[in-house]
Amino acid sequence: MHSDKAWSPYLAGGLSGLVSILSVWIAGQYFGASTTFVRIAGMIESVFTPERVAQLEYFVRVAPRVDWQWMFVTGILVGSFIAAWTSGTFKKQWVPDMWNSKFGHTPVKRGFMAFFGGAIAMFGARMADG
Amino acid sequence: MKLIILGLITGILFGFLLQKARVIRYDKQLGALRLMDMTIVKFMLSAVMVSMVGVYILHDLGLVELSIKTTILGANIVGGILFGIGWGMLGYCPGTSLGAIGEGRLDALWGILGMIFGAGVFAEFYPALKNTVYTWGDFGKITLPQALGINHWIVIVLFIIFGILLFRWFEKKGL
Repeated sequence: MHSDKAWSPYLAGGLSGLVSILSVWIAGQYFGASTTFVRIAGMIESVFTPERVAQLEYFVRVAPRVDWQWMFVTGILVGSFIAAWTSGTFKKQWVPDMWNSKFGHTPVKRGFMAFFGGAIAMFGARMADG
Repeated sequence: MKLIILGLITGILFGFLLQKARVIRYDKQLGALRLMDMTIVKFMLSAVMVSMVGVYILHDLGLVELSIKTTILGANIVGGILFGIGWGMLGYCPGTSLGAIGEGRLDALWGILGMIFGAGVFAEFYPALKNTVYTWGDFGKITLPQALGINHWIVIVLFIIFGILLFRWFEKKGL
C-alpha cells in the first residue's frame, strides 16, 4: 500500500523531540551531526597522511573513529530510505525541483553549488560549534 | 558497542520522521530561507519544545546531564553567518543531507563531499582561529536561565507560548 501524504510537521517534530529525550535518558547522547564530518575527514586523511592527522590539534580533539553520532548520522540515511521506499516517495534526482524551475536542468552547476555551499556551511558550523 | 547500536536505532527513527514530514528536501529548506514555507521551522520548534520539557524534567530529577555549548560571540556569529551562506547554497543541513540521499535526492552527495572537505579545511585553520575568533566575547558555558537569573521553567513556559503563537500566525498566513 502506498500513501504519499506527508505527516504533520508538528506531529513528526514532536515525536522527534520524544526520540531525543529518550536518547538523552538512555544513551546520554544529544542529537548532532557536524562532528561526524570532522571524523570522516580525519579518516580519509589518515589513509594518505596518518602522521599529520595524529599531530593536528583538531583531529586529536575530534578523533577519526566511529562513535554514537557517526552511527546516528548513518541511521538518518537508513530511516529516510525506509520511509521513502515504503511510501513510494523515493525519487532519484540530481537537480531539485525548485532549482530546476529557476535555473533549468543544470546538474553540473548544481553539483558545484552544493559542494562549495557544503564546504562553507561545514566550516561555519564547526566554528560556531553547532 | 551498545552506544553504536543505540546511535543507529536513534538515527533510523529520526530519519524516518524527517522523511515523513518532508523536511529534508531542498525545496522545503530553501522555502524556509525564502520565507515561503515554514514546514521545517514548525518541525524544529515542535521538537525543541517537546525535548526541552522532557530533558529539564529528567535533569531536575537528577537523571541526566545537560550538554551546554560554550558561548563565544566571535565564533558563534562569524560561524553562524558562514553556515547560513553555505546552507542557502547547498539547501541541506549536515544531518539532513544524509536523509536526502535516503530518499533519492542525489545532489546531496556533492554537498556531503563538500562538507567533508570543509571539515578538513577547518582542522587546518583551527590553530589560527583559536587566537582570533575564539577569543572574542567568551562567556563560557552559560544558559539563558542563568544569564537572566531566573528559574528555567519560566524560560521554558515563555518559549512554548511564543512557539504556539508563532505556529498560529504561520497557519493564519498559510506559510
